[in-house]
Amino acid sequence: MCLYWFEIQVHRRGKVAPIYPLTDGLGRRRRHDAGTDVVLLNGSTDQPPELLGNKGFGINAMRHRGLAVPPAFCITTDVCARWFANPDDTMDGIWSKVCDGIRCLERESSRTFGAGPRALLVSVRSGAAQSMPGMLDTILNLGINDSVESALAEEFSSAFARDTHDRFLRVYRNIVLADGDGVVPDDPDRQLRGAVEAVFGSWTGERAVAYRRHRGLDDLGGTAVVVQAMVFGNKDSDSGTGVLFSRDPRTGANTPFGEWLVGGQGEDVVSGTADVEPIEALADRLPAAHDELMRAARVLEEATGDVQDIEFTVEEGKLWLLQTRAAKRSAQAAVRLALALRREGLIDDAETLRRVTPEDVRTLLLPALQPETRLAAPLLATGLPACPGVATGRAYTDVDDAIDAAERNEDVILVRTSTSPDDVAGMLAARGIVTEIGGATSHAAVVSRELGRPSVVGCGRGVADRLDGKLITVDGAHGEVREGLLDLASWSESDSPDLAELTAIAHRHSPLRAPLIAMLTALHSSQRADGATS
Amino acid sequence: MIELQLLQAVRLKGRIAPADLSATIGEDPATVDEAVASLSASGLLMTGNSLRLTTDGRARLTELLAEERAGADHVAVAAAYSDFRSVNADFKALVSDWQLRDGSPNAHDDADYDAGVLARLDRVHGQATPILAAAAAQIPRLATYADKLCAALEKVRAGETAWLTRPIVDSYHTVWFELHEELIVAAGLTREEEADAGHA
Repeated sequence: MCLYWFEIQVHRRGKVAPIYPLTDGLGRRRRHDAGTDVVLLNGSTDQPPELLGNKGFGINAMRHRGLAVPPAFCITTDVCARWFANPDDTMDGIWSKVCDGIRCLERESSRTFGAGPRALLVSVRSGAAQSMPGMLDTILNLGINDSVESALAEEFSSAFARDTHDRFLRVYRNIVLADGDGVVPDDPDRQLRGAVEAVFGSWTGERAVAYRRHRGLDDLGGTAVVVQAMVFGNKDSDSGTGVLFSRDPRTGANTPFGEWLVGGQGEDVVSGTADVEPIEALADRLPAAHDELMRAARVLEEATGDVQDIEFTVEEGKLWLLQTRAAKRSAQAAVRLALALRREGLIDDAETLRRVTPEDVRTLLLPALQPETRLAAPLLATGLPACPGVATGRAYTDVDDAIDAAERNEDVILVRTSTSPDDVAGMLAARGIVTEIGGATSHAAVVSRELGRPSVVGCGRGVADRLDGKLITVDGAHGEVREGLLDLASWSESDSPDLAELTAIAHRHSPLRAPLIAMLTALHSSQRADGATS
Repeated sequence: MIELQLLQAVRLKGRIAPADLSATIGEDPATVDEAVASLSASGLLMTGNSLRLTTDGRARLTELLAEERAGADHVAVAAAYSDFRSVNADFKALVSDWQLRDGSPNAHDDADYDAGVLARLDRVHGQATPILAAAAAQIPRLATYADKLCAALEKVRAGETAWLTRPIVDSYHTVWFELHEELIVAAGLTREEEADAGHA
């Protein structure tokens, strides 16, 4: 326990006027309070997500409930707003507090930032009050240089130390310096300062600004930066990293769902560059860590009243939670989970209705590949979903054969290594498109969207040979190819028990007896109006 | 020269109607018809509703491209291609942002958003122009891509935005992609190698 200035600030806060909201009644930004520039996320701060960012808020909430989370502090969204006005002075002004934050991480982890024999490395993450595309995301393993690498090699193994150093240099060059050949500073303090400024700078990147404008988030002040002690999923075979959904976000079933990668770090799971295993593999390999993870998932579900998407790392058999947030879910899962959580007494009727959007119900009433149908069919390939929709037909790998088959009125799926303009005639003839290589901006992705053909791209080498001649279903929403010609189905407001149950709840809370979508639309828009005036 | 131009155009399009061929290579229709008849007589082209290369036609094209490449400064071509790669990443990102917003199809109902993406196209075009000039200094045939990109860009600027990404026609994306194919070959690489390295 270290009683530094921010903790004193936290203790004092009970007696002073609340710092939140961020603006006064006239919409002016309130004068900045230096006490909230850097906040230790040890479970004791009661600052809102608007200041801590969603990640920082989640970490503090997990610590508050006694869960094992590596020590962390955050530089708040307020600092980001000031940084744009005056970067150098702002950084100089907060730097001693950032260093104090690092000292706290050092004490709690019994390690030293930038020096052996037990070196502390940190992760640096962006975190606004809402996540958004285009933001610089995560820099792992920061604080390493040649001498720290030697200390890590001495303490653990030279392979681990080398791997960690390489990962850091690659990411720092690519995302902080935006130059694959840039010179990475040796001094850990300078690395940290560069990373923090890069996170701030990404706030006004083209994509992030466009996203906020589109979503009406123009009033968000900036991003927070979370600095957290590293734990290492790449340390040994009793280490790894993964993601757990406390319940299945695809179907809404009450079964945990997740993925886990032995010996990997977070970026490996997210980028899909390595072979992840289902979460059950963790139960087989490290049952104690698995049990602890399930317990943490229950604690967080009960605390938040919602299904959680939890990022975790296991280091030498010990479980660490890194991040938690409400899970994104399918329309079906939104309905089923809301009803299940209500039955369990975790949420009330009003919240149940808030959890289901009119859009969810609309989606369910349209013909679609139902999760159960989809999951029961053997999975033949996965890739990036490039154009949404579902298409079924026979797989052809040769453009001329595909065109001939389509002229015989066969339903054709074109499967290619990659596509180029000379494949367009075949793409036009096909119902759906699958490629082995290429990303979300590849020719196949761009052209399939233009032609409105459901497509899955980048499924991996060898897929064309494996699929050739088979009857398949291309699921352009999930990025999957399944065996067989799968049927589409839709829910009905009167015949589907879940929608009937939801309708009954809505009747009790809606002044008008109307179809479910109309009642939900009225409820959601009145909530938005309340939110805008409060 | 017209033999190479013509075979390469058919190769890049896969199948092309004879009437579209003269437009895409920018030659007089009568000259093109004559060349098509002669290439078809020597077994290099399959004719019909659309033109396609025969196996011999592909072999002949490979030979002609190799001859053309032999006359170029490989270091200069490699440098031009390396510059192109970084602009290519920006171009592909903007095409994606044109088609998709937050993962859903762009409804094109927000003029500010669309204008923002099109402003990026102007920047990409500005960066691509000198790169293309450097490549064309080595391989003069490539100069035609500058004209075709300009033609597509002018249509987009005039509000005919389908000319940004529409397949089959010589939209900006179609021409850009064909130019990318040309530069890959000119740099002595293959598309598969480029795709594996994340550049395709």
